[in-house]
Amino acid sequence: MVDKKTVSFMRSLCMGQIEEDVILPFPTIPSAEKETLRGVVRSLEQLLDPHAADFRHWDRAGEFPLEFVEELKAFGLFSLVIPEEHGGLGFGSSAYSRALQEVAKYDASVAVTVGAHSSIGMRGVLLFGTDEQKARYMPKLATGELVAAFCLTEPGAGSDAASIKTSAVKDGDDWILSGNKLWITNGGIADFFTVFAKTDEVDGRGKLSAFLVTRDMGGVSSGPHEDKMGLRASSTTTVHFDNVRVPRQNLLGEVGKGFKVAMTILNSGRTGLGGGSVGGMKKLIALSAKQAKDRVQFGKPISDFGLIKQKVGQMVVDCYASEAVVSMVAGLNDAGYEDYAVEAAISKVFASEALGRTADEALQIAGGNGYMCEYPYERVVRDSRINRIFEGTNDILRLFIALNAMNDAGQTLRELSKSLEGVFTDPIKGFGVVSEYTLRRVSMATGYNRHGTTFTKLDPSLKLVAGIFEGGTRDLATASDRILRKHGRAIIDKQFATRRLADIMIDLFVLASVISRVDSAIVERGAEQTKKEHEIVTVFARQAERRIKANMDEIDNNVDESIKSLADHSFELEKFGWDTL
Amino acid sequence: MKVLVALKRVADPDNANKVKVSAAGDAIDTTGLEWKTNPFDEYALEAALRLTENGKTPKKREGEVVVVTLGPKESETMLRAALATGADRAIRIEATDAELDGRLVAWALKAVVAAEKPDLILLGKQAVDGDSNQVGQRLAELLDFPMATFAATLHEEPGALLVGREVDGGVLTLRVTLPAVVTVDLRIVAPTSVFSKLTAMEAGFKHGDGVRFAPLPAIMAAKKKPLDVKPLAELVGGAVLATKYVKFERPAQRAGGAKVKDVAELVEKLASVSKVI
Ligand SMILES: Cc1cc2nc3c(=O)[nH]c(=O)nc-3n(C[C@H](O)[C@H](O)[C@H](O)COP(=O)(O)OP(=O)(O)OC[C@H]3O[C@@H](n4cnc5c(N)ncnc54)[C@H](O)[C@@H]3O)c2cc1C
Repeated sequence: MVDKKTVSFMRSLCMGQIEEDVILPFPTIPSAEKETLRGVVRSLEQLLDPHAADFRHWDRAGEFPLEFVEELKAFGLFSLVIPEEHGGLGFGSSAYSRALQEVAKYDASVAVTVGAHSSIGMRGVLLFGTDEQKARYMPKLATGELVAAFCLTEPGAGSDAASIKTSAVKDGDDWILSGNKLWITNGGIADFFTVFAKTDEVDGRGKLSAFLVTRDMGGVSSGPHEDKMGLRASSTTTVHFDNVRVPRQNLLGEVGKGFKVAMTILNSGRTGLGGGSVGGMKKLIALSAKQAKDRVQFGKPISDFGLIKQKVGQMVVDCYASEAVVSMVAGLNDAGYEDYAVEAAISKVFASEALGRTADEALQIAGGNGYMCEYPYERVVRDSRINRIFEGTNDILRLFIALNAMNDAGQTLRELSKSLEGVFTDPIKGFGVVSEYTLRRVSMATGYNRHGTTFTKLDPSLKLVAGIFEGGTRDLATASDRILRKHGRAIIDKQFATRRLADIMIDLFVLASVISRVDSAIVERGAEQTKKEHEIVTVFARQAERRIKANMDEIDNNVDESIKSLADHSFELEKFGWDTL
Repeated sequence: MKVLVALKRVADPDNANKVKVSAAGDAIDTTGLEWKTNPFDEYALEAALRLTENGKTPKKREGEVVVVTLGPKESETMLRAALATGADRAIRIEATDAELDGRLVAWALKAVVAAEKPDLILLGKQAVDGDSNQVGQRLAELLDFPMATFAATLHEEPGALLVGREVDGGVLTLRVTLPAVVTVDLRIVAPTSVFSKLTAMEAGFKHGDGVRFAPLPAIMAAKKKPLDVKPLAELVGGAVLATKYVKFERPAQRAGGAKVKDVAELVEKLASVSKVI
C-alpha cells in the first residue's frame, strides 16, 4: 500500500517508478456529494441562465451591480467548501471543482468571484484555522455575510511572493499590520482577508506570517475597481492596511510559516481554477459545434471541412484531458494524499493553456463574427487569458514542477555516492541502495519489465498507450539524469532545460490521468460504449509522445544559446535591431 | 392547508432528440437519457407552495406540502429537488414505468390520499412523455372528489378553491369545495395566478415569474427531510396493468423542402410533387 503522507505520483515517476495504485481507479465524486451536486447544477442553471444578457452588459459596464452579489450570497454560492456543521455544503475538491465548472459555463466573472472566496480567500481558515477561528468565521463566510479575499501580491512582489513588504509588528498581545496589496480579487466586496505579512527581519529577507483580517478592525480600505482586459465584472482592487490592529487570535497557522501557508492554500485551491477552465472549454465546444453546423460557405456547412474538424476534434481531446487531470488532482486531495503540489501545478498549467487554445480556435471558427462583441467568443478569449497568469504564472509553475523533480533526482545521486562510501562500513544497507538504483537504471535503459516500471492493471486494449507512457517515463528519467549531470547545481539558472523537463512531466501526468480515466470508463461501461474515449486517449498519447521526443532531442541539440543572445541583444538596444527602410 | 402533489420523472423534453426506440420497437430505450421533473408537475408543486404560504415570507410554510412519485430509486433525485424547493415530505412508490399505466397510478394515489388525507391534490395536466392526460381525472373519480382540470388560476377561499380555467374565447371560473383534485396548466406559475388566504391579504402582491428554485442551503436541508418508500402492490391491491404499449415509432423524417422560382413552378410542384391540387 502506498503511504499517502509521502507518496507523490510524479516524484516517484521522476525516479522511474510508476505508482499505478495512486492513480487507479480514476477518482469519482463521492455519491452523497454527487446527489447534492445534481441539485446545485439545476439551481445554478435557474439562477444564472436568466442573467445571460446581463453578464454581457456587466462585462461592458465593468462591474456587477450590488444586488447581483446579494443574489449570489442569498443563493449560498459562497458556501460550497464550508463544512456542513458550519452551514456549508461541505464539498471536497472533486465536487467543488465540478461546481465551479458549472458556474464558469455561465460567466467567468462569477466563477472567479466564487473561486477567489472558496479556493483561496477563506481556504486558509479551512486548512489551518483553529476550532475557534472556524466557529467564529465559517458560518458568516458560508452565508456571504463575509466575502473573502486572498491578499498576497504587492506592487513589488508578484511571482516572488516572499519579497512582500507588508509588515506585522507585535504590540502587546496584538499585531499591527501595515502595507499595500495589489490586484486583489473581491477586494471591493470582501470584508474578510487572508493577509500575508513579514513578521521577522532576522535574516534580511524575513519570514512571512498569515493573518485573518476583517474590515471592521479599522484601517482597512480598498482602492478603485481596476479597469481590466477580462473578468471585468469581478472586483479587482488594491487593498490597504494602515496600522490595522489584529488580535493575537487572528494569526493563521504559526508565526514565520506564512509562505508555507500561502503555498498550501494555492495548491489546495488549484482544482477550482482547473474546474473553471474545463467549464469554459465545454461551453466553447458547444458554441463551436453549433456555429460550425450553422455557418454555410462554399455551399456546405463549414463543419464539413477538415480544418474545422481538426480544431473541434482537438478541443475535445484538450477538454477531456483537462477534465481528467483536474479530477485526478481533486481526487488525490480528497483521498488524503498530502504531497500533490507538483501534480496540482501540472493541472493548472495544462488546463489553463488548453482553455487558451480552445478559446482561440473557437473564435477562429466563428471567423469575423468571433471578433464581434455581439458574439460570446471575444469575451471568453479576454476572460480566460488571466488563468495563465494568476495563482502562480505558468512560467513559475513550470520551474516549480521541474525543479522539484530534479531536487529528488539530485538527492538520490547524492545518497548513492554517500551509500557507496558506506558500502564498507554497512555492506548490507549499502548494497541494497546500490542494487535498487542500478536495477532501476538497467530496467529503464532496456525497457525490461521490472516491478513498478510498467502498468500492470490496465485494460489490455490500453497496451499501446501504456507503452507510450512507459517509454516517456524512461525518457523522463534519462532527461533529468542528463540535465543534472550536465548542469549540476547550476540547474537553477538553466531555465531552457528546466522548461523542457517540465513539459515532459506535464505531458506524462496528463497522459497518466487520461489513461486512468479511460481505463475506469472501460471497466464501468465496457469497450463497446467507450470507443470514443479510446480514440481520445490514443490521440493524446501519440501527440504527447511526439512532444516528449522533441523535448528530449533538444536537451543536447538546441539553439538555446542563440535565442538567449538575441534576447540580450534586444535588451541592450531596447528595440528590434533591423529595418528594410 | 395540506396539499399532496404528484410528480413524474420524464425524459428531458429539451433533449428529446436523444430518445431512442428499442430495436424491437416495443419500448423506449432509456439508457443515457437525462431526466427531469415533468414540467406541468413542477408547476403543480409551485402552485402548492404558493397556496401554503404568505407570498411575502415564502420560507415559512403555512400548512404542509407532500410530494409523491411512482418510480425507481433514481427518481428520488427529483423528490429531493422538490423537498429543496420547499415541500415538507416525500413518498416514493417503488415501480418502473413499464409496470404502470394511468389507471394503476390513479389507484396507487388513491391509497396515498386515504392515508394522508390532504385538503387538495394537485397534479400537472399531463406528463410530457406519454401525454396520456388521465391520472388527475381518474383519481378524482376513484375518490369521488370534485375536480378541476387545466387550472390557470387558484384563489383560496374558506373550505374551497376558486379555479380559473382558460377555455376557447374566455375564462371559466369554478368553485370546488375541498377536498378536491386539481390539474394545472402552464399559466398557473404567472406572478398573480395563485393566492393563498394569507397572500391575498397583501394587496398588489406579485409572486416571482415561473417556478422557484432551491438556494444551496435548502438543498442541504432537503437531505434531512423525510422520504418514505412504499411497495406498489401494497397500494393497488390486486389491480393489474390494463394498458400495454404495443409499438413505438419515430416520426417519419421530413423530406427537405425546395425553393421555387415563381408562381408557375409552385403550382406545378403542388400538383406533381405534393399532389395537393
Ligand atoms: C485579475 C487579477 C486578479 C488577481 N487576484 C489576486 C488575488 O486575489 N490575490 C493575490 O494575492 N494576487 C492576485 N493577483 C496577482 C497575481 O497573482 C500576480 O499577477 C501573479 O502572481 C504574477 O505576478 P506579477 O504580475 O507581479 O508578475 P511578475 O512576477 O512581475 O512576472 C512577470 C513575468 O515574469 C515571469 N517571471 C517572474 N519571475 C520569473 C523567474 N524567476 N523566472 C522566469 N520567469 C519569471 C512571470 O512568469 C511573468 O511572465 C491577481 C492578478 C490579476 C491580474
